[in-house]
Amino acid sequence: MAVSGWFVVLLAAGAIPVVLAGDGAPTMLVLWLVLVGALSALDLILAGSPRSVTLHRSVPARLRLGETAQSRLLITNTGRRTLRAIVRDAWEPSAGARSQRTRLVIPAGERREVLGQLTPFRRGERRAAHVTLRSFGPLRLAARQATLSAPATLRVLPAFNSRKHLPSRLARLRELDGRTSVMIRGQGTEFDSLREYVRGDDVRSIDWRATARRDDLVVRTWRPERDRRVVIIIDSGRTSAARIDNEPRIDTAYESALLLAALASRAGDRVDVLIYDRRVRGRVQGATGADLLSRLVDTMAPVDPELIEMDWAAVPALVRSVTSQRSLVVLATSIDAPGASRGLLSVLPQLTRTHTVLVSSVTDPTVLGAAADRGDRSAVYRAAAAERALLDISRVSAAIRQLGADVVTGSPSDLPPALADRYLALKAAGRL
Amino acid sequence: MTEVITTESTVLTPSVSRVARRTAFWAGVLVFALVVAGITFSVRGNVAEGDPLSITNPAPAGSQALAEVLRDQGVRVTETNSLDQTRDAAAAATGTTVLLHDPESILAPDQLLQLAELSDNLVLVSPSFTVLDTLAPAVAAAGEATGPFSADASCAVGAVDRAERVTGDGTGYRLVDESADAQLCLGSGDAVYSLIQLGTDAGVRTVLGVPDALSNEGIIAGGNAALALGLLGQDPTLIWYLPSLADVDSAAPPSIAEATPPWLIPFTSLVVLLAFAAAFWRGRRFGPLVIENLPVVVRSSETMEGRARLYERGSARLRALDAVRIGSLDRIGRLCGLPATATVDEVVAAAASLTSRPLESVAALLLTEEPRSDAQLVRISDALLDLERAVAIAARPG
Repeated sequence: MAVSGWFVVLLAAGAIPVVLAGDGAPTMLVLWLVLVGALSALDLILAGSPRSVTLHRSVPARLRLGETAQSRLLITNTGRRTLRAIVRDAWEPSAGARSQRTRLVIPAGERREVLGQLTPFRRGERRAAHVTLRSFGPLRLAARQATLSAPATLRVLPAFNSRKHLPSRLARLRELDGRTSVMIRGQGTEFDSLREYVRGDDVRSIDWRATARRDDLVVRTWRPERDRRVVIIIDSGRTSAARIDNEPRIDTAYESALLLAALASRAGDRVDVLIYDRRVRGRVQGATGADLLSRLVDTMAPVDPELIEMDWAAVPALVRSVTSQRSLVVLATSIDAPGASRGLLSVLPQLTRTHTVLVSSVTDPTVLGAAADRGDRSAVYRAAAAERALLDISRVSAAIRQLGADVVTGSPSDLPPALADRYLALKAAGRL
Repeated sequence: MTEVITTESTVLTPSVSRVARRTAFWAGVLVFALVVAGITFSVRGNVAEGDPLSITNPAPAGSQALAEVLRDQGVRVTETNSLDQTRDAAAAATGTTVLLHDPESILAPDQLLQLAELSDNLVLVSPSFTVLDTLAPAVAAAGEATGPFSADASCAVGAVDRAERVTGDGTGYRLVDESADAQLCLGSGDAVYSLIQLGTDAGVRTVLGVPDALSNEGIIAGGNAALALGLLGQDPTLIWYLPSLADVDSAAPPSIAEATPPWLIPFTSLVVLLAFAAAFWRGRRFGPLVIENLPVVVRSSETMEGRARLYERGSARLRALDAVRIGSLDRIGRLCGLPATATVDEVVAAAASLTSRPLESVAALLLTEEPRSDAQLVRISDALLDLERAVAIAARPG
């Protein structure tokens, strides 16, 4: 049961007869209240039942963060009376439903469509819980109200904003490849094929043995090594919950992992991704091509950091379970303080013995800004604390490098391309 | 992204009949409690207190018993509620006693004087200040007096002698005019009496401070009945005057109730109802809220801010400056093209030679100078920034 603004207006209109009635004012008041009550009761009786409806909902199952989806809600009036209703389609706040309330008139036995626009502003599973109908009578004074369950789920995938860096990195990957005229030689590149010498080729790449066989100058072409393995381990422990530039660390890790996975799979490498804190929160293994990215975003979407400490001791075994072959292991975590990184540092030797290890960590641009700001007394103390934090990071980085691993740091927007560049550099150097 | 989910729905809001069934027990309990309360009140209403000391009131506070006994003794007892009635009753009889009990102080002094002319035997039961001031100026109230009281030797009132012992609580009085012809009875010590009989030119005025002695409840105790009968049964007629609203001077200015228009109270009630209706209109919830689990929000720079506040609160100037200096040394070393393993002295020397500053001043700035105040700290930190800038300019190629 609910009342409309008209009910309040009608009640307020009673002031006129009450004042005009003079000595009979109390009687007039009672009469007016009876009148309003009777009209509202009549309205309630004549209102269409909000219970006798059937709902059909259709929502896209997946959506990338930042995009807008259309949700359709079909309401069929199975009652005997016309339904004049306000419909509330109840989504989670983070689903970003633009307007949740719609006015509808559905004659008996007919069906109407309610279109809604959803622009979710948070990754993960966004749920719709129920639909509430407020059905007014013909006088629009009073309404019957009922809530019907109509669950739906919309999986909001990571935004993958870093995909804008993919074309340029793919171009650089092709430059490494023998397909372009630019020849690249290096220790780790693989022999690809032989072709005729054209002017401008590096004379050092002439294959004299083949030239002798063919009576023509023949050069060797090279291509980057292929079929290497990349294992990305994303830390979903408590440090990944920290927000930098209004983006949790884990989201930046996802962005970097997605860009690296897209790049590496194009380069012919096999990519495996694990999201881990004390248990495996997500695992994508053995996927290739377009399937890899879709499986990745699907796995990442519902995983949020948990307030527990990352268990680094289990990571070497985890990597061994993925591959025993030499591979590039990328650890997406945070290196803030020597104390907090002790776990990471203790297992790095085990990993670097067999693999190439890359630690990627987000740095906070506000720390860099604070270090440069020396405006007043408290700003200087803040700058000192920031310098101290930067020193901590550089000490941990130095320790990691000493243990044979490499470190990539950057602000949330810079880290994904920086990691991709480091991958390309490793590939060019043939260190995979 | 074309996958579609279709759902059927079930009604979550309980129906009216379900709600009714669920709340039936408690509604029953409420109705039962209301019925019990109603019965209790109606039963109590039968013994409802009428006016205290009214001769038509059989309740404990009334005085019907006394009036009935007096009537049996042949005294004509009439209850009046206004001065006009009293005047009529007094005119119809000769030899009257008038009992006045005016706890609400309704009568004005001039009305009291008119009343005094009607009878030469006035009994004033628990008189107010106005009544005393007008009819018995020789007597003044002297606070509460609690019984029982015994008949005094000095008291020459026959009714009191016969009563011997009077019980009940009330007011004590004091004789303030020693020259008056007064009988002081039912003393409670310290010259306070609960019954004072004054013989004046206009007649006998009896001030009685024990109204309990006249009530149905109190009359059977001690010698109360003897006192009441003796005091009130002297004359063939007893006018029992309890002033009511009819005595209020109608010439007085109109009260607030009379001055308000008749529609005001219904109108304000309507406004209150309107406020409730509007609150219900705006406040009625449109279905339950949807609960969402939000992730924890941790600001990453919290550790840094906390450390900054610790430095500041502890005035750890040297420690803060060391941190700033280490950062500066690191940056300057890189700008000078020195390896990360370069010693501090090498960095200082490189910076001094690049910027052509004296080695001592650069060393003091980067290493030895100790800040003694916050102002010095800010100055050194600014100088460090300045040095870094100078090194950067000097190291820039070309």
